[in-house]
Amino acid sequence: MTDILASRSYRGLATESAVDAVHNELDSLWGELPLVQDMDQMTFTTAVIESTSNIVKHAEPAGEDPLEISVDLEVRPSQLRARLSAYHAKPPYGSMEPRTPDQDAESGRGLALIQALVTTVTFERQDATNTWVLSRTSQD
Amino acid sequence: MKFSYETKESYAEVKADGRLNMVSAPELREFVSELISDGSTRIVVNLEQAVFMDSSGLGALIGCLKAARQAGGDLRIAAVQPQVKMVLQLTSMDKVLTPYATAEEAFSND
Repeated sequence: MTDILASRSYRGLATESAVDAVHNELDSLWGELPLVQDMDQMTFTTAVIESTSNIVKHAEPAGEDPLEISVDLEVRPSQLRARLSAYHAKPPYGSMEPRTPDQDAESGRGLALIQALVTTVTFERQDATNTWVLSRTSQD
Repeated sequence: MKFSYETKESYAEVKADGRLNMVSAPELREFVSELISDGSTRIVVNLEQAVFMDSSGLGALIGCLKAARQAGGDLRIAAVQPQVKMVLQLTSMDKVLTPYATAEEAFSND
């Protein structure tokens, strides 16, 4: 079993305020573990915030219950891991494959950016919960 | 995120302070749009204090660039921090939004 050096969790409504709240959790994590390399902090933070924003922007409620988001962050000796879930959500629509938009496009770069920043991205759906797991293996 | 601006001799300098994400991106669009409406079409966005930018923030910068060019001017960025530089490079948008070292340099050759 892999040791977890530090962790943070957030759960709340999937609204814009979740984006800054999750970012604050990430900053708090790096504050506790300053030895995590700057490059790892920077890339992982960017991937987690992109993914959080994707849920807030695109997730749709499956029924009357409001959409909720949870983000669980873990630092392990050689891996950073984030588990992001959208609760009471419809299945994601459209392609989850990254695109390469035109240079003057103002959106559509998020998925490609996430894939460039982390080592693995997995998706699973159970009941009305969509879950993405991001992991980044440390460059040590 | 906080935005402020200062009118210089040949351009307007917008200072962005904080995280340029999906929450603040629409605010940047509105801020720059008002500047352009007021006649400032040569704009430098100084990102020295912008500690973070995601694809929403990048999209807002591209939208502001297009708006400035449509008004006959241009928009340039300066003093980018490592995370912002990384996002520009990974998306290949550093070719469109080329970062200048300082706001003063951005329009110094034209």
